Amino acid sequence: MSPGPRRIAAPQPATVQADSAGIPLQVDGRAVDAVRETWLVEDRWWTERPLRRRYWEVVTHCGRNVVVFRDLVQRGWYRQR
Amino acid sequence: MTIVCVLLERFELAVAAGLRPTRLGEPAALAPELGRELFVGAVSQAAEAFGIHAGMRIGEALSRCPRLALVPPDPIGVAELWERALARLEGLGAAVESLRPGEACFDARALERLHAGRIVTMLAEGYLAQDGSERLRRVLAGPRIGQGPTRFCAFVAASGARVRRPRRVAGAAELAPHPVELLRRRAQTAALVEPLQRLGIATLGDLAALPRDAVADRFGRPGLLAHDLARGQDTPLRPRQPGELLREALELPESGSGEQLGRALGLLVDRLLARRERRGRTLRSVVLSARLVEGGTWRERVVFREALADAQRMRLALGGRLALLPAPADTLELIVERFGPPDREPRALFDDGAARRDERLREAVRQARAVAGPDAALRVLEIDPDSRVPERRVVLSPFDPGPAGSGSGSR
Repeated sequence: MSPGPRRIAAPQPATVQADSAGIPLQVDGRAVDAVRETWLVEDRWWTERPLRRRYWEVVTHCGRNVVVFRDLVQRGWYRQR
Repeated sequence: MTIVCVLLERFELAVAAGLRPTRLGEPAALAPELGRELFVGAVSQAAEAFGIHAGMRIGEALSRCPRLALVPPDPIGVAELWERALARLEGLGAAVESLRPGEACFDARALERLHAGRIVTMLAEGYLAQDGSERLRRVLAGPRIGQGPTRFCAFVAASGARVRRPRRVAGAAELAPHPVELLRRRAQTAALVEPLQRLGIATLGDLAALPRDAVADRFGRPGLLAHDLARGQDTPLRPRQPGELLREALELPESGSGEQLGRALGLLVDRLLARRERRGRTLRSVVLSARLVEGGTWRERVVFREALADAQRMRLALGGRLALLPAPADTLELIVERFGPPDREPRALFDDGAARRDERLREAVRQARAVAGPDAALRVLEIDPDSRVPERRVVLSPFDPGPAGSGSGSR
């Protein structure tokens, strides 16, 4: 059997520092200048593997637009674009 | 002629229940596949004691035994395990005919010399279940072996044999005391059993003693076949052609249905056609199967009107079958059952620039794949473009430049 299909935009682990409210302050060592948008994605809550993510679209100090999310089930930060 | 019959009673029920059939001490029957007609499949011995038999309507079966357990069928598991059993028999050199899962016949004349006359003993001692997985050993253990001059004689012998004790039925005289109920195992004669019993014809001997013209008048062609069988005559064996198995499966991250399932099917077709083992051959028949979210499996055999190697036409032919899927699926699988002749690429009527460009593109893809493997040329395929989860929206699948002369492929 050939290997499975390759997914595009798979989440990559990221190092994020956040404040007590969960707002990102630094992404991979780069300070966050502005938070452009935030949204919550909840899916598959009816299965044994629910998906719950808090997404943040931020602009870092060097001007890059980055989307990161906090996995609210597994408790980790990921970068995704 | 010596025909050997290998019989695994209640094979489908045993696979579905995951137990050896003898352990099915409770009244149990195989439930009909979802979306199919409401007849029970194989039944346990305890259920038979209530007068329930395979092919009975569910309502009637439940009224005869209200505590009858209905086991969800597992057509994929049955096909996989039975294929392994047939492959084991073919490994002995047998040309095997399989009428249904759990029942196989072959002509043993030449094989007796090849295996020093031990072939029946080997089968009775559990050759089928040797060196297999735990599940395989459980399900294939204890076959009943019968021998006879015809397929039906061998089957009757096997159905009366005990485990590890092969039995032989030599012809009409030894068939005579057996009940006409045995005709139920042949699709063409199954419907005759009840009318024969109503007419007081209880044994094969009673049937064989009837005038052939009268049987033909009353029951037509199936009656003549039943009469032949009862007199120890049968049609010649039609062994299957052993073939290679090529399969592709896709796990669906969310329970798939509708448009998403159609895209997954497209992806499976692309991957199957990109397999190196296909060696440019067309596909004659395939099996589309799925594991269902609610439990159980679904299986549909599709024979193409003509052998195909065109992804677009395959998607069209298979897409309609997806509508028959009775519930959302966890896994979708496509298996090549039989290959057709090599794909003869049609020549272009007019030799224009587009045809040359396509030819160069195909050649470039072929060369890139030869160097870097099947992943050298991929295309972006939308699986669920509106999903809120980004990684579910698109995947990379093998790039199919389309058949020569088609002008354009899937890009």
